[in-house]
Amino acid sequence: MTTTAASHLSDPSDPAALIETYYERGWTDGLPVVPPSRGAIEAMLAAGGLRASDLLGVIDTRNQRILADKVAINAVMAGCKPEYMPVVVAAIKGLSHPDFHYHGPATSTGGSNIVVIVNGPIAQRIGVNAKDNAFGPGFRANATIGRAVRLVMMNVLNTRPGGLDRSALGTPGKYSFCFAENEAESPWEPFHVERGFKREQSTVTIYAAEGVIQVSNGISNRPEPLLQGMADAMANLGSRNITGQGDYVVVFAGEHSALLGKSGWSKKQVKQYLYDHARRTLADLKRVERLPGPSEPGDENRWLHATESWETVLVFCAGGAVGTKSACLPAWGSPKSGRTVTTLVVEP
Amino acid sequence: MLDGILLEKAGIPAVSIITEPFRPTGKEMATNWGVPEYRFLEMRHPISNLTEAQLDARADAIIDQVLWLLKTGQAPE
Repeated sequence: MTTTAASHLSDPSDPAALIETYYERGWTDGLPVVPPSRGAIEAMLAAGGLRASDLLGVIDTRNQRILADKVAINAVMAGCKPEYMPVVVAAIKGLSHPDFHYHGPATSTGGSNIVVIVNGPIAQRIGVNAKDNAFGPGFRANATIGRAVRLVMMNVLNTRPGGLDRSALGTPGKYSFCFAENEAESPWEPFHVERGFKREQSTVTIYAAEGVIQVSNGISNRPEPLLQGMADAMANLGSRNITGQGDYVVVFAGEHSALLGKSGWSKKQVKQYLYDHARRTLADLKRVERLPGPSEPGDENRWLHATESWETVLVFCAGGAVGTKSACLPAWGSPKSGRTVTTLVVEP
Repeated sequence: MLDGILLEKAGIPAVSIITEPFRPTGKEMATNWGVPEYRFLEMRHPISNLTEAQLDARADAIIDQVLWLLKTGQAPE
C-alpha cells in the first residue's frame, strides 16, 4: 500500500470509482471499503494518540513491521469510527505479541478466525455488542473492528488466500469476529480481571479459533447436564483440540449463564468440570486414526483432554438474555503453536 | 522455510523442502526475508498421512537433490 488509489483515477471525487479501484488493487476483503481520506486517517491516528510512524508491532517470523499509519488507513477502510482506534491498536498489539505466534494461525491450512474479545468500560462506551447476536451482524463496532484486524492482516502483512494465508476452507468469521463480554450480567468476574487487569481497565483478547460450535440445552435446570453437553462438543473426534490441547474459549449466553450463576457454581468449578469431562480415550482416537498406531491394552482407560488444564478453559459470558444456547470455540492450534493474548487498551 | 533461510543467512548450509502446493507460500516467505530467489526443494503432496516406509521412499527419492543443493548453495550456478 504505497501508491494512492486516487492518483490513478480520472475522477477521484467519484466514490464508486474509487471503491472499484481498491478492488482492482486487491486491497479489500471482498466487500467494498471506505476510501480513506487524509483527514479520516489523521482523525484515526489522533484518536489513538499516535504518530504515523509509530511502530505498533513486529512479526518476527515474517520479518514484517506494523506502523500506525497503515493501521489507521485500514481502520478507515474497514468503516471504523475514530473512537474504535484504541481497540484496534490493542488488537494489533495482541496479534503481534510473541506468545500469539502470528505466522501459524494466519498462514495455516486450518484457516483460523482471529477472535477479538473486548472487556472493560470501553466496550459499552463505543458500542461493542455483548448481547443479542453477539457473534452476528448489526453492530458497527463489532463488524468494523474485527474487519480492520483482517484488513491489516491482508494489506499490511500480506496474509492473502493462496499465498501467506493457506486456509483450506477459512470461515465466515475471517471477515470479522469481534464481541464484548457481557460483564454486567455475568455471574462471575470479567475475563480481564481474571487475567490480572483492573475492572475499570479495558482490554482486548486475541484468540485463534477454528470456528463456533453452538451447544443447546433447553431442558436442564442443573449445571452438570448442560456442561456435559458442552464438554462433549469440546472433545469431538474431529477437533484440533483433542490432539493439540490448545486453549479453549467457551461462551455462555444469558439463560445458561443465569442457570450456572443461580446454581452457585464458581467459574473455577465450571472450568474444572469442562476440563475433566472434555476428553477422549486413546482407543477412541486411534479407532478413527486421529492418533497413529494400533490400539494397545489399557488405551480404553488412557485419556487425552481437549485442553491443557482447567486454567486453559477460557470462560466468557455473552449473547442474548433469551435462548438456551452457548458455544465453544475450538482453538486453531496447540499451546506450542500459540496462546491467547490479552492486551491493555490505551486511550490517549 | 524460515529455518532454512535463517541458517543460510548465518552461513550454515541448509535445504528447505516443501510440498508442491506450498510453492507460492514459500516464495512469499522468501520475498519477505529479502531473498526472493531463494532456492528450495519440492515434493508431492500430501505427506502427513504417509506410512514410515512411504516417507522413507520420499526421502530416498529426494536425497540427491538435497545433496546437490547443499553443495551448490544459494549462489547461482
